[in-house]
Amino acid sequence: MHNKKYSRLNVKTTLALLVMGITGYSGHAMAINGLASVNKDKTLESGHEYMVVANYPNQLNVLDLKNDSVYKTCQMPDRFGPGALQMAPDKKTAYILNNGYEDIYGVNLDNCEVTFHARMAQQPKERTKTLYAFTLSYDGKELYAVQNPTLLERDHYRVQPTRLAVYDTSSGLNAKPIRTLPSPRLVTAMQTGKDGGLYMAGADIYKMDVNTGEYSVAVPSRNWKRPRYVQPDVLNVWAVQTPTQDFTILYTTARFQEGSEDLNTADWLYGYFNINLETGQTETKDFGPITEIYFTGTRSPKDSNIMYGVLNRLAKYDIEQQKLIKAAELDHSYYCLTVNNDGSKLYLAGTFNHVAVFDADTLERLDTITLPGGDMSTTTAQVFIHN
Amino acid sequence: MKFPKLSRLNLLLRKTPLAAGIAACGMTWAGVANSASDALTEKAESIIRSNCLACHSEQQAEPAQFSRISHQRKTPEGWLMTIARMQIMHGLQISNEDRRTLVKYLSDKQGLAPEETAGSRYAMERRLNTMESFDSAEFAEMCARCHSGARVALQRRPAGEWEHLVHFHLGQWPSLEYQALSRDREWFELALNNMVPALAKDYPLKSQSWQQWQQTDKPELGGSWSFAGQMPGKGDVHGQMQITSAGNDEYQVRITGQYADGSPLKGKGSAIVYTGYEWRANLTFEGVGQEKIKMRQVFAASKEGDQLTGRMFAAVHDEMGMDFSAVRQQSQPDLIAVQPAYIKAGTRQTITLVGNNLGTDVSLGEGVSVEKVVLRDANKLVLQVRAAKDSEPGARQVTVGQAGGASLTVYDRISSVKVVPEYSVARVGGNGGSTPKYNAHFQAEAWASGADGKPGTADDLRIGYVPAKWHVEPFDAQAKADNDVHFTGRMNASTGMFTTASAGPNPERRMSTNNAGNLKVVASVKDGGQKLTGDGQLIVTVQRWNNPPLP
Repeated sequence: MHNKKYSRLNVKTTLALLVMGITGYSGHAMAINGLASVNKDKTLESGHEYMVVANYPNQLNVLDLKNDSVYKTCQMPDRFGPGALQMAPDKKTAYILNNGYEDIYGVNLDNCEVTFHARMAQQPKERTKTLYAFTLSYDGKELYAVQNPTLLERDHYRVQPTRLAVYDTSSGLNAKPIRTLPSPRLVTAMQTGKDGGLYMAGADIYKMDVNTGEYSVAVPSRNWKRPRYVQPDVLNVWAVQTPTQDFTILYTTARFQEGSEDLNTADWLYGYFNINLETGQTETKDFGPITEIYFTGTRSPKDSNIMYGVLNRLAKYDIEQQKLIKAAELDHSYYCLTVNNDGSKLYLAGTFNHVAVFDADTLERLDTITLPGGDMSTTTAQVFIHN
Repeated sequence: MKFPKLSRLNLLLRKTPLAAGIAACGMTWAGVANSASDALTEKAESIIRSNCLACHSEQQAEPAQFSRISHQRKTPEGWLMTIARMQIMHGLQISNEDRRTLVKYLSDKQGLAPEETAGSRYAMERRLNTMESFDSAEFAEMCARCHSGARVALQRRPAGEWEHLVHFHLGQWPSLEYQALSRDREWFELALNNMVPALAKDYPLKSQSWQQWQQTDKPELGGSWSFAGQMPGKGDVHGQMQITSAGNDEYQVRITGQYADGSPLKGKGSAIVYTGYEWRANLTFEGVGQEKIKMRQVFAASKEGDQLTGRMFAAVHDEMGMDFSAVRQQSQPDLIAVQPAYIKAGTRQTITLVGNNLGTDVSLGEGVSVEKVVLRDANKLVLQVRAAKDSEPGARQVTVGQAGGASLTVYDRISSVKVVPEYSVARVGGNGGSTPKYNAHFQAEAWASGADGKPGTADDLRIGYVPAKWHVEPFDAQAKADNDVHFTGRMNASTGMFTTASAGPNPERRMSTNNAGNLKVVASVKDGGQKLTGDGQLIVTVQRWNNPPLP
């Protein structure tokens, strides 16, 4: 199925190159495998609700959530991957981690122009990847990225300690860090609290002072001390920005029966860590037994007792009762679950080029938004209302 | 994360197999105690100096030493993978001929002694369904989680080189520490602080066995050989292998053999011997009609040079292959196979004894008598034999003159059937993708109850592989619901070969999933009036995208 789509794409490449030759911005390599931007200069409308997702060959799509359609498609420089996204507080600039995990770009969604570019490597012999771990300050003036550098020496590699690089988002197309701080390893998703603290999901969820680099455990994960619970397993590469300012990460774990340490009789549980970015309040809560895997989960903005999860099915849980209320079958896997601001619709992204739209109450499938281009891979879908 | 270059690596490796082509160096090697001949050394060092010193440094040493390169020991496959990685990832430009020269030189000079490959040869022999087991859970989780443990166990390095390897791993695959069984621990710290010392201790650069092997005279392998093998789906095979020296550890090979069903096995090709004992051959066999089948041999020569053992397998479908053993004719008397290696009490059958320097006195053990000699030469004996009705079930050592080493089992009835392998993995493929299907081959192994009369107990007697009728069933309720039997492929009812379905998402399946599934493999065997069945499990899964010579 993918192959067919790609062969169609290739036919269009020549045309796309011609168009981009005229409109391409300076200072960067062209997206030579790309399609043309569509509705490039169509500005976003104030008060309208949109969603951004990235996909192959290398583009950023803005979806209009009023009529669930593609609003515009921007071509991105260099190469695609992973297409992780964060929306700036101005609700106009999208930041995308791309070029094989090695560069972050800021894109003005009104005109598809790249206004910010930071290469994660800080010296020529360094190869540096950011494993999804980037976000913006609460005011949007700074961008934070955890970088995994490796020095490529003449006849050997030397892995370097991870670092947090802080950028001024007004630094333009050759942005350099304004400061770097030692960071714990294994950090993936990050979000910033209203108080300025940076929440970093790694072995535990840390909270870092982005000026001093001091950090402490905000929510223990690997090192939690929950009687009868085994160490949870956590992997979240989708830092979804929610309408309720909740930073939510799923975990799986097992809870032994009283007086037992037998995994065969233990309860296998799904749960979530949550940090409310407004208040700084944290939660660690089980929401149901493990019956299947979810890559992402989010709570309803209408009812904080409802948890949704997605991978091979779209599922809905009553958190207090720890019960699966409903599940919808899917046509294929979806990785990234988002919800619109009033909590009425769920949007499923990641894999293929379909964004599936579901009724948040009934889990009835309402629509499918088909993106131009190919697979979304592990892009982050972000919903926002334009200022 | 996607690393598309790896698939290029696979292609490159597939296109230039170890034993492809001949590079003439003009020096004989057999009997020379040095690890690499002078001419080979001179040529290889010149290639290194002109191709590798942009990154590697020549060190102050006599004989010549190069940074990194001179401080590791590997198998021929290991060296090939290293050089291919330099091509793919680091822009090395090198001709196939020069690369072959380097693999030969490095394998000879910095190889593994026979003792050092023992227990890990399955990786070189492409037995990808081997279930590995290691004493160290940490080794299994830290190293053998992503690739075979054998790939590690077939290398020798000092601590500094193992440390470089850890840095290379995390630097090249930065996502590895985020994966399950990494993210639950401080992977990088553990790798440096625990694994490096453990690997340097278990797999050190310097070893007594390597030191001794370097001093050992290496035998020439040219001559006439008798071989015996056993091919799933076809059965026993035996014949002659004619090996002619072409100099410089290179040989021309001709094989003429016959399967138990009478069909011929005929092919020819070339071979190279690395490290004085690592036999690698590429052969082309005549198939049905105009069809040619390319096969490879990965054998180890015995120290005396009178035995070759290992596996011969199809070059593209390396899941199809046979255990193979050969003995040099006119060497010490040896019996390598009795085909078939079992007989039912009270029956008469024809058996073939394969070996070398076979004498005249045949002993098949108590209760088994020779009724007629159908054919006899020094390397093969075809006999019509009879097992007395009251002969005691059990294995008997067979001797022919002074030749021994194989056995014949008498049984009264089959009491249980095992599917071999009991658990295996096959993979979808083809369909325009870069990866061929990886099919599955099963055999039905018959067993007799031992003295206790109960099957499945410790005293059971292995009879051998017997013909069976084959089919597959859903392994469980999920497999049934997903109709895995229909989608995953087809079982050949008579050969036990399962051919997998095509690769790629299948719109006819639930969620357009691949043609993966979970099957029960059932063998039905008739013995006398009774019908017995045995079963195994077959997982059909997606392609192995990263498929270098050492898994």
